[in-house]
Amino acid sequence: MRLFSKERPEIPIVHHLKEDGTEWTIKEKLWLGLSVPEYKKQFFRNPINWLMIFIFAVGVPLILQRYIFGLGSVTHASNDYPWGLFLGFGLFGMVPLSASGFMLGTTVELFGRKDFHAIERLALLNGLLGYFFAVVFLEVDLGMPWRLPYPMFVSLGPAAVLFLVAWHVATYLSVQIAEVLPAFFEWIGWLKGKRIIRKWVLGLTVAGIILSTLHQGALGALFTYAPAKVHPLWLSVNFQWIHFFCSSIFAGLSMVIIASTLIKNFMGWRCDDEFKDNLDYITIGLAKGASYAMITYLVIKIVAVAHDQEWSYLLTGWGSYYMLELGAGVVLPMLMFAIGARNQWVTLIRFGAFIAALGIIWNRLNTALVAYNWQLYQEIPHWKEVWITITIYSLYFLTYRFIVYRLPIVYGWQGEK
Amino acid sequence: MKKLLSRRNFLKGGLAATASATVLKNKDCQASGDFDGYPDSMGVLVDLTRCVGCRSCEAACNKEQDLPEPAKPFDDFSVFDEIHHGQKRRTDETRYTVVNRYDVPELDHPLFRKFQCNHCAEPACLTSCFVNAYTKTPEGAVIYNSKVCVGCRTCMIACPFYVPTFKYSSAFDPKIMKCIFCYDTRLKEGKAPACVEACPQEALTFGKRKDVLKMGKQRIRETPGKYVDHIYGEHEVGGTAWMYLSSVPFDKVGFDTHVPKEPILNSVKDFLAIVPMVLTIWPGLFIGFHLLATRKDKIKEMEKEKNKKNDEKEEQV
Amino acid sequence: MRTRKKVMRTALALTMGGIMLSPGHLLSMEVEDAPEMVTIESMANLYGPVEFNHLMHTEYASCEECHHHTTGDKVVDSNCARCHSNSGEGDEVTCTGCHETNRFNKDYLKTLESPELYHIDKPGLKGAYHLNCMGCHEIISGPTGCQECHTMTEAGERRFNTGTFAPAKGTSSSGH
Repeated sequence: MRLFSKERPEIPIVHHLKEDGTEWTIKEKLWLGLSVPEYKKQFFRNPINWLMIFIFAVGVPLILQRYIFGLGSVTHASNDYPWGLFLGFGLFGMVPLSASGFMLGTTVELFGRKDFHAIERLALLNGLLGYFFAVVFLEVDLGMPWRLPYPMFVSLGPAAVLFLVAWHVATYLSVQIAEVLPAFFEWIGWLKGKRIIRKWVLGLTVAGIILSTLHQGALGALFTYAPAKVHPLWLSVNFQWIHFFCSSIFAGLSMVIIASTLIKNFMGWRCDDEFKDNLDYITIGLAKGASYAMITYLVIKIVAVAHDQEWSYLLTGWGSYYMLELGAGVVLPMLMFAIGARNQWVTLIRFGAFIAALGIIWNRLNTALVAYNWQLYQEIPHWKEVWITITIYSLYFLTYRFIVYRLPIVYGWQGEK
Repeated sequence: MKKLLSRRNFLKGGLAATASATVLKNKDCQASGDFDGYPDSMGVLVDLTRCVGCRSCEAACNKEQDLPEPAKPFDDFSVFDEIHHGQKRRTDETRYTVVNRYDVPELDHPLFRKFQCNHCAEPACLTSCFVNAYTKTPEGAVIYNSKVCVGCRTCMIACPFYVPTFKYSSAFDPKIMKCIFCYDTRLKEGKAPACVEACPQEALTFGKRKDVLKMGKQRIRETPGKYVDHIYGEHEVGGTAWMYLSSVPFDKVGFDTHVPKEPILNSVKDFLAIVPMVLTIWPGLFIGFHLLATRKDKIKEMEKEKNKKNDEKEEQV
Repeated sequence: MRTRKKVMRTALALTMGGIMLSPGHLLSMEVEDAPEMVTIESMANLYGPVEFNHLMHTEYASCEECHHHTTGDKVVDSNCARCHSNSGEGDEVTCTGCHETNRFNKDYLKTLESPELYHIDKPGLKGAYHLNCMGCHEIISGPTGCQECHTMTEAGERRFNTGTFAPAKGTSSSGH
């Protein structure tokens, strides 16, 4: 894109009108204002796209195999480990990393911190896509994916934690769609829709906080169904939901830092000056917030160990692994955030965000897979399961990029607003 | 567009959020109360000292439940040496019950342990299921309805005994496969399950749960030294319909002695309790925060308007 | 129960032909009162009948080891002795006389609920046979394999997926 945007001032599209005063059609907007050969040219110039093609070439047949021959044909089909990577990474990992939507929504709309406005839409989009693809992962994992609406409409088991997760994720997904729609409405030029949503924004934000608190916590609470299976260090019956909720706060913030970093570095042509100029300031602000959440998280983690009298476990091999997870996955990025924020070292913060996000995924995988059945044996996922997980994640990446390329997420729409 | 909302819109939004949250979610918070189990539910007492590992129960179950042909005949005892992932045989989609051999050092003969669904009084599979696919029948069986199951496999996570298994091999008709106490074919009519009837040694004793429990206690009392003084399943996870007597400590014959002594649901109740709290307190709390946080803006705006009016007035004057 | 027992007297009791002339109360039965061979076939289905040599077994065990207190011998088991030390010869000595063929049927289970009943844990007939035989055979190294006492029928082979019904790939090694 850099190639074309230098030659043609009207690209990238930021306005309904072309240079000559005619309107862009939706189709032209979808093609980014390029001709098809131009689009192809820029597509194949990008090495990431070749990587994607490779991943999909293997992944798509594997996904088909899963739907034709069953889960047993692509996973280890374990009765001891009913949940594998699809849920361990896809659901338990994606959802906390998508807490950004409600975090920034709250910051900007509820607390009136308009200085974070430039990143609000990216955070909302990050939230929406993360949740949407968590559901996609779920659809790959469910035995009967065509029955997804059953818990809502066909047979209700309201006393189950998963019922709460299902309802909250579904409602929250709708809330997030509503929150991202204004960007879409600007882009297609339907301002009435945007105005309608604008009126509801506070309600949506508050609903977002409630739903997020509960379902982020509920994902943790799911493991309290297995008090005898998950290693005591990774399971605190009393604090599990707080651990999951609290860690989702800095997970979401880190993910926004990561997304904005990638966008700034690889999609600079798409960002407007407001985004570019404010990003360092915003990143420092996010890092500050994240480090506060992390110290809170650490304290509650220690409280849980103390509460359940688990100090002796810390001296075992599992204890070392636990401390490694906390040390490398939380303490290290926390220090990077804190030092970075104090000295305005934005690059340090950005590296810290990568580590923090990996730390959260690591924590969720540990809870769902590694420390699960700690007294039995370790299940190593089937390579096909790993590949399908990567394929779905690549789809997430492509969708993310597709939208950021087009909708006014990291730039302001210059047409009518 | 003005960031500050009018009072009317603000109320509308806030109310809608609260209402939608409460209407949709008030069901979530029902944590079920104490449940002592159905009074006349049936149970089975398994006496490990009687079992000789003949696998008659496995064979009977296979035919009664119409399960696929086994890999090895049921009178082939080499299966006792099968080890998978360091574990002895377990139930799966082809078998609802297995018998395993345990060589206990202090005994001169091995012990055998039959394994199948224990049919808990307050089953974790049932309480964790978000589509209500499980039912605890008054007769004591924990049965499953494949017609509403979505295949999330949370029941398998929740079951402290690793009982529910999933038919992973099917793409179009997968389901949970587990012992159902022969509910459809036998228990409903008051008959003992097929395995119990097949057992030559009467290692399995079928009867009302409270009666077989009494029997177990009588056996412990009347044959001192023969049994450890514990009936596994009397209190484990809140009580199970299938209970066990053993001559050696239970952890030596493959039982998980670390399972809680109360229903699994109890450990989830901490979370369920906060749900109504969040639903009721959060909206007010956060809207309060909002008002506080945006107070300065509002004041500024009001002052601006006042000044404007004053200016106008002055102009008029 | 008493009338029921009387009704259920079976061949074994009749073959004794024993009209007990003496008051009988303290007299115990003799080995000669019993038949030499007994065919146990009341439950034969998966396995054929057992030809039980009663006479031979009297060399290994005293009467009360199998027949408990019913033959009038002195009761050894302290649990039984609490009530039966003086109860003398019973009306019924056969296994089927006391042990239910259909141990877990609804009506029988109902009778176990009686608060007056002490014998709430009496094994059914099949259990009684096997517990008694196997319990002893394991100690004195008698035969303990299923087919050492009774051969498997066709129905049994079908049930156990063995013999002519063995799984195609499976290895049939009938041990025990």
